[in-house]
Order: sequence, then structure tokens, then C-alpha cells
Amino acid sequence: MDFEQIKALIQLVDSSGITEFELEGGDLRLRIRKASTPAQPPAAVPPGAQLEPVAAPMVGTFYRSPAPDAPPFVQEGDAVSPGQVLCVIEAMKMMNEIEAELSGVVRQILVADGQPVEYGQVLMLIERRA
Amino acid sequence: MRRILVANRGEVALRIIRACRELSIETVAIYSEADRTALHTTQADEAVCVGPAPAEQSYLHMQNILAAALICGADGVHPGYGFLSENALFAEMCAAHGLVFIGPSSQHLELLGDKARAKAVMEEAGVPVIPGSGVISSRTDLVETAAELGYPVLLKARSGGGGKGMRLAQDRTELLRVFDTARAEARASFQDDAVYLEKCLLGARHIEVQLLADNYGNVVHVGERECSLQHRYQKLLEECPAPQISAELRARLGAAALQGARAVNYRGAGTMEFLVDPAGNFYFVEMNPRLQVEHPVTELVYGVDLVKEQIRLAAGEPLRYSQAMLSPRGHAIECRINAEAVAPGSRPIPGVVEKLIVPGGPGVRWDSHIYQGYSVPPFYDALLGKLIAWGEDRQEALRCMERALQELVIEGVQTSLAFHRAVLRDERFRAGSYSTDFVRQWLAESEIVG
Repeated sequence: MDFEQIKALIQLVDSSGITEFELEGGDLRLRIRKASTPAQPPAAVPPGAQLEPVAAPMVGTFYRSPAPDAPPFVQEGDAVSPGQVLCVIEAMKMMNEIEAELSGVVRQILVADGQPVEYGQVLMLIERRA
Repeated sequence: MRRILVANRGEVALRIIRACRELSIETVAIYSEADRTALHTTQADEAVCVGPAPAEQSYLHMQNILAAALICGADGVHPGYGFLSENALFAEMCAAHGLVFIGPSSQHLELLGDKARAKAVMEEAGVPVIPGSGVISSRTDLVETAAELGYPVLLKARSGGGGKGMRLAQDRTELLRVFDTARAEARASFQDDAVYLEKCLLGARHIEVQLLADNYGNVVHVGERECSLQHRYQKLLEECPAPQISAELRARLGAAALQGARAVNYRGAGTMEFLVDPAGNFYFVEMNPRLQVEHPVTELVYGVDLVKEQIRLAAGEPLRYSQAMLSPRGHAIECRINAEAVAPGSRPIPGVVEKLIVPGGPGVRWDSHIYQGYSVPPFYDALLGKLIAWGEDRQEALRCMERALQELVIEGVQTSLAFHRAVLRDERFRAGSYSTDFVRQWLAESEIVG
């Protein structure tokens, strides 16, 4: 397989609904994987909305759900109220629940599940609602 | 060791990063929100913000620092000096999480951190100690013990260091007056208000001996340092070797330091501090279980990289030096350039370094984290940099330091440069016969140096 053929294959996969393509034959092995796109487009933010950052209060690992197989605490677009758990940060084997401090709607989750976060890093943006 | 988290800031964090780089060890810096653009943050291979500006919430925040070390896959933690370097709990937590704490064990830190207990252990091992008391229980105990020791006396914090919680009292009235403030300061700094008394030796010199010990019982001393030039118990200038001491006294100091290190089965780099009286008697004061600020003077004279040795020893390597391999060559002087004029009542003032010209040339070393445009944060210590000069003998080292001090320009913040330049011209200093009283007397005699 030459360069032009690979290029054509990539374009074909790109324009299709396929996310991953694997081809094996002889001593050739080719794998094309599409760059992951967000599962859902970020919830639309109405103009003039007041977005409040939720910053990490500690260094640790960010988790969106209480357990690997559990549903996430919140999704983009969810309404939250003060005291509601938004995520956990694991530090030194301790699960620290991060709670919302205001009423609003989760507009954007900026950190992927399982990623390390540093102190002060913005985890989510919440649109303040009265 | 492949990856070390540097649990410090400023010049010492840079010093450790430099050593690691030469040893092909990766580094993880930690920083507070005030140090986002600091050199240690940008020079390390990776950097993690561990908290807001106040040290208690960042450079002293053990959980965040350990989490950063684990997340970044560090296998060792170098605490530098100050901050967590003498914290037994931190050393223990590092060990519990499989991280090598680059220093002695938590048991060593616990023992040596209790200054009264450390003295008792040294005394038992046959090392002369300064006459003093146990922990003072009451005002009656205070006054009675002081009368037994004889004035002047020094009130010191059991968990003390860096001159905090330390007060000199010439008589009973003064002692009673400083008792409460010394305790309050000790409580604020070390969460421990226990204080004890020590006889104040007049005209004494502060001389310390550098030690290196491995995990297999081998220990060597790397000569002594003269640290008598102090203001409010803060060192301002150090020399290696100590001027004006006899070869016999030098040998006795080295032997006593080795004896002390063996008595506590010490590991890693450490320093035994002694006070030496005008008659040549010396007394153990404390042992610092960490890297010292003034370590470069020893490095230049002995040709040993103390930080690299510390890392090697912590990794479990045997000592690479025998006592016979360690001999001094030449003389080195260090000036600690602080963001503070040396004058009665002076205080460090934060500001921005608007202009910086760094000296160079033969014999000159500049260990510093500042740069043009650097903003000196008000949250941490006032050290701007350490200027170190080496010469074949003390005379040459003095000349080298004088011209290096002339070359060094720091504008925009207050500095101790004028003081250092003036001290270098002082006849008593040049003669090499000065004691811990020197700066106080010198300030009293001279006009305020700005």
C-alpha cells in the first residue's frame, strides 16, 4: 500500500460514520482512529449569562462519578443547587466530594474523567441562576 | 531514582533542579499561586500548583504535595531547607507512600527536632554541650534556672530554628519580659511553645561541621564553616574554612561532629553546629538534619557536590568518599543577599527587581532565583540570592568577593548589598577574628547602613 492509497483510506473513513478502522494483511497492519469528538455539543450558553468557575481546592485525580461503573454526578446542561456533589477529587486515597456553591446550570465540564488536576484548576463552568 | 519532586521554592529549588538535571533525573516542581512565573516553576520538567500564596496552604501543605508527587510518578522528594525539610510527619508520609524522602529518617527528624533531647543524646555520647536547662515549666523555674546558669542567658524554643522564638536576656527583669513573647513566637512558628534556657557565651563564634553519612554506618565530615556573622540570629555571611582557628581545634571539631553523627546513627547530609568560645572550648548547639543554605562554600573548597551526594545517599548508594579523600583547597565566602537593608529595625519590603546585573568571572558563583522583572513576593523569606567567591587563600577570596559585590546590581528592591560591601572593608572582619557579637557591635558603632 502506498502513501496515496493510505491518504484515500483516511479520507474515506473521515467522511463515514466509522470511528475506528483496522486493516490487516500480510506484513501490513493499519489502524485509523478518528480524533474523539465531544459526545454532545457543549450546551448552548445564552448571551449575557454569568459563568462561574468551579476551581479544584486541592491537588488530586478528578472523577466525574462515585465509582467507575456509576453514572456521573452531573452532566452538561444539568441544574445544580448549593451542596450538590459535582465531582470527586481523589487525593492520597481519599475521595473528596466537590460541592456546588451556587444555584445554576452546568454549562461546561473542562476536565476529563480520571485526569490529574492541580490546585486552582478550573473544573467546570456553571451558569448562575437566581 | 528517576523523578524527584522538589518540595521547595526559590534558589534552593533551582539548586536541586540543577543537580537532578546533571544526574539525568527528571524534576517536578511545586508552586503556589504567587510563584506561577518563578524560575523553579518554569525550569522543572513538570510543575504542579499546590495552593494559594500563604506557605501553610501551599509549600507546607503535605497532602497536596504528596498527591502531586504520586500523580506525577515521582519516586523521591527533596525538601530543600526550611518548609517541610525537618518535618518528621512529612518524612513518614513520604515513606508510607513509597517515596524516598531525601534526608534522614523521620525518627532522626523527631529526635533532632527536639533540641533539648538532641543535646541530652550528644552529652551522653561525650560531645560537649552548652550548659542549659530542660523545658521551663513556670516563671519560678525560669528565674531559678537562669540564676544557676548565670546571666546573660538565651531563651530558645524546643522546636525552634532560624532564630524564631529566641531571645537574649541580660538580667532577671529582661528575662521575665521576653518570656511570654518568646513563647508566643514559638507557638506561632512551630505549634509548640515549650522553651528552654541556655547560657549565653560572650564572644563566642558559631562554627558548624558538614557531615555526610550513608545507610551502612559510614560517615565523613566535609570540614567546617564559620557562620558568626549574624543579625538577629540570621546568618548573613559564611566562610569555609573558618579563619583563625588552629589545626588542632579544627581536628577536634571534626572528631566531635563524627562522634555525634555516629551516636544517632545519622544518614544523609547534616550539620553539627557548635559555639566556640575565645579560649577554644566548643559546645554542641544543635544538629541540622538537612541541606544548609550556606552549603556552597563547602562545595567550592572541598570539590564535593553536596546535593548530588544527598540524592545518591538517599537512593541507598554507599558513601563515595573516605575521610582521607576530603581535603580543603583554598577559601570560599558566601554573602546572603536579602531583600532587606541591614539596620536596626529594618524589615524586608516586597517589590519588583527592575534592574539586575549578575557578577561573573573566575571564582564567582551566583545561586539565585531572581531575574529582571521578578516580583519579590511578601509571603516567603527575604533571600534574593547567594553570592559565593573562591580564592586560593582567604585574601584572594576577599578580593574576589569585593569585586563581585561591586559588579552586582539589584535595583527596585531594598537589599543588604551596602551592608555586605561595608563589612568586606571592615578591618576586624578582614583580620578574620569576629564573633557572633560582631554585627550588633558594628551596627551600634556605624551610622545606619541603607
